[in-house]
Amino acid sequence: MFRFSVAVFGRGVAKRFSSSFPAEGALPPNLQLPANLVDPSRLKRPPPPADCPLPLLRRCEAVVPAHLSPMQTWVESLQMEDGEPLGRAELHPDVFGVSPRIDILHDVEKWQRNYKRISYAHTKVRSEVRGGGKKPWRQKGSGRARHGSIRSPLWRGGGVSHGPRGPTSYYYMLPMKVRVQGLKVALSFKMAQDYLHVVDSLHIPTPDSQYLLDLIRRRHWGESVLIVDVAEEFPENILQAASDLKKVNLIPAIGLNVHSMLKHEAVVLTLETLKFLEDKLLWHDQRYTPLYPFKLPYRDFP
Amino acid sequence: EIYSSINQYTPNHKCFRKLVHLHKNKHINRPYWIYFSSPQQQKPALIESTEEFVFVERLIPPSRIPDPPKHAGPAPSGWTPPAETPPPLPYMIRRSRMHNIPVYTDLTHGNRKMTLVRKVEGDIWALEKDVKQFLQELTGKDMPTQVNEVTMTLRIKGHFDQELKSWLSSKGF
Repeated sequence: MFRFSVAVFGRGVAKRFSSSFPAEGALPPNLQLPANLVDPSRLKRPPPPADCPLPLLRRCEAVVPAHLSPMQTWVESLQMEDGEPLGRAELHPDVFGVSPRIDILHDVEKWQRNYKRISYAHTKVRSEVRGGGKKPWRQKGSGRARHGSIRSPLWRGGGVSHGPRGPTSYYYMLPMKVRVQGLKVALSFKMAQDYLHVVDSLHIPTPDSQYLLDLIRRRHWGESVLIVDVAEEFPENILQAASDLKKVNLIPAIGLNVHSMLKHEAVVLTLETLKFLEDKLLWHDQRYTPLYPFKLPYRDFP
Repeated sequence: EIYSSINQYTPNHKCFRKLVHLHKNKHINRPYWIYFSSPQQQKPALIESTEEFVFVERLIPPSRIPDPPKHAGPAPSGWTPPAETPPPLPYMIRRSRMHNIPVYTDLTHGNRKMTLVRKVEGDIWALEKDVKQFLQELTGKDMPTQVNEVTMTLRIKGHFDQELKSWLSSKGF
């Protein structure tokens, strides 16, 4: 009887249960979308097709493995607010196309936050609190609980038994190759999510911040932009324009790190930065284990 | 005081007595060059030359691993180079940085033997199927395997590193 009822009612339950799974890509019927919803996939420019007439401004210098092919992006210019791309650039797949390892990104981000941390919390133990050497009253006969010092952790004003002890450092180092892989994974993520833009140089016509904001808004780059260049001296116009802006930041290529890349939505690289990054990041794939620290001279250090 | 007297020192028989006198006072530390220096000579002019630095430069070690020399077939040690073109399979196994096949053995808890295949790219499940079929023909048993899609590695129960290495190199990886 019970089995018969389960068989009869179970069929109806299964039908109702399966109707809550939508078909592949179908939206549920009671979905309400806001009127000003923006679809970023329709706003941004699609990646360059294979038969693009624009010239290839940059080829990969490093050897690309035989089973992979270089990826291509547009090379734009910052001179005109609404300019068309100047050409295409090739990107090495071992830097910009590695597998998406979120766990490595998490590890590197956590390391970046914690290796500099020194917590200065400190509490005094019962031996360090002033006073409390004498037994407050005799052991037996006073009627009160037995105590040995007025600064024991049981007492008000006494020491803390298991509190934070002195400045503690949370310093640790992740292996060099893990940190390098974190950079590669972050760049690959930005590339895959269409947040990576390549620019030929950072010269802009005016030192006006509004020009930069209008350019970013027009090209739908995103809310926050990180601009990376190899040289430590940036052109004066872009320095002045970005100095007033909170969400547009400039860094040299040696300062590129996973936290900054995750904090900013879009990352803008120059052609020289591409070469620098590929040289430095690909060297780690084919280097010996260090005989002595890499700060000392080697024959073919990048 | 001693040095001022040494400036007039000449290495000839007349000052032999002075030499003996110097030797007598052995408790005073004297530099070795006093026995070789000649008196009242001008300092030679300094010549800077960078041609000899070549001998230092060739001693500095390289940091990059070089490409292996071209061998026709297997090398005397048994090492085989990868194929010129990658094999037409849905997966790819790269070589390690020392140009070897990335198959390693693992031993945990003193008795748990495992084989690890690293550096897999592409369809790792197709590789697992092929490995299982190969080991089925080899041992006649179905070996348990574990696929890690995040790190793109394949673990197999038991030590099969030599067999897997020869199988992969025969495929052309």
